[in-house]
Amino acid sequence: MSSPRLEEFLARLYTDASSLAAFMRAPAETARAAGLDEADVSAMVAADHVGLVMAAASYRAKRARRNGRRPLLQRLRG
Amino acid sequence: MAGAAAVERRDRFGLGWRPELAAGILAHLDRVDVIEVIAEDYFGASRGDLRALRTLAAQVRMVLHGVSLGLASTLPVERKRLDRIARLIDNTGAEAWSEHLAFVRAGGIEIGHLAAPPRSEASVEGACRNLESATRIVGCAPLVENIATLVVPPASQLGEAEWIAGIVRGAGVKLLLDLHNLYANAVNCGDDPYTLLRRMPLDEVAAVHLSGGRWIDGPSGVRRLLDDHLHDVPAAVFELLRELGRLAPQPLTVIIERDGRHPPMARLLEQLDDARAALAAGRKIGP
Repeated sequence: MSSPRLEEFLARLYTDASSLAAFMRAPAETARAAGLDEADVSAMVAADHVGLVMAAASYRAKRARRNGRRPLLQRLRG
Repeated sequence: MAGAAAVERRDRFGLGWRPELAAGILAHLDRVDVIEVIAEDYFGASRGDLRALRTLAAQVRMVLHGVSLGLASTLPVERKRLDRIARLIDNTGAEAWSEHLAFVRAGGIEIGHLAAPPRSEASVEGACRNLESATRIVGCAPLVENIATLVVPPASQLGEAEWIAGIVRGAGVKLLLDLHNLYANAVNCGDDPYTLLRRMPLDEVAAVHLSGGRWIDGPSGVRRLLDDHLHDVPAAVFELLRELGRLAPQPLTVIIERDGRHPPMARLLEQLDDARAALAAGRKIGP
């Protein structure tokens, strides 16, 4: 458990709304299609799906907020 | 290495350096022992900006805080990212640096924030490999910080404290213990924050983060505590700091993080005083 492939799968769920929606509709099939091994597929099926949705929403909001932040000296220079 | 890896012999209390707080911090350096600068804010900085940062470091103890390395990953951290940290420490004379136990990218996808990897032996080993590279390339080891997560990391085999202890002891690094992150993870999982605190490798804690957050609603009526750095440090977190002070006798550097909805400086200074009082109270009780 835990591999570059699993991390990539999670990163996609956290950043791509359509991937997350597809996973929520069909967790096992989506995980298997992403190339996860059966242990990781089972883990994703049993995962905290509500938490995944909340985390993805939080990351989306934080990306938006961070994009609006710049260092003080850059701000002073306009 | 100009300034990193200084050894502290007393508790210190400080603030995260943010543009909105700069004037207030500079006006109250008698009450702020240390500032924590987000490293990524200065990766592309001009010579003038770096000179200003160096001047700041000459006035108040400064530590750097990274948010984008992605140390807790089975994927290696890119050399160029570590080189930037090394250059920034050399250019500013910062006395130490820290990073999160998180993954932030994979397969060319940037999450854009700190994500909790599966807590497994594989991610412990990956983090230890990355910390070895980071220490070698930067010239000193980072403190590593526990992150907040709204989701129990899928495919986890280890508990949070066990996973963090495995990395800290395996890599031989110190822990930056974020008490609001710890509190949020505990309450979001229905666990007792004090139990989670006591399971952490408390003898390896060198620094502490304090911040605040808010409850958010999710699907199916679920509510979870979001660590947003936009609210005051709650009383429950000061209570955890007191307990930490009771259990961890070593000197600690305590930083309050505030990323927005900034209160008047007087309010932040009050919270620093609350932190001083909480830690001192714990120290007085003892283990």
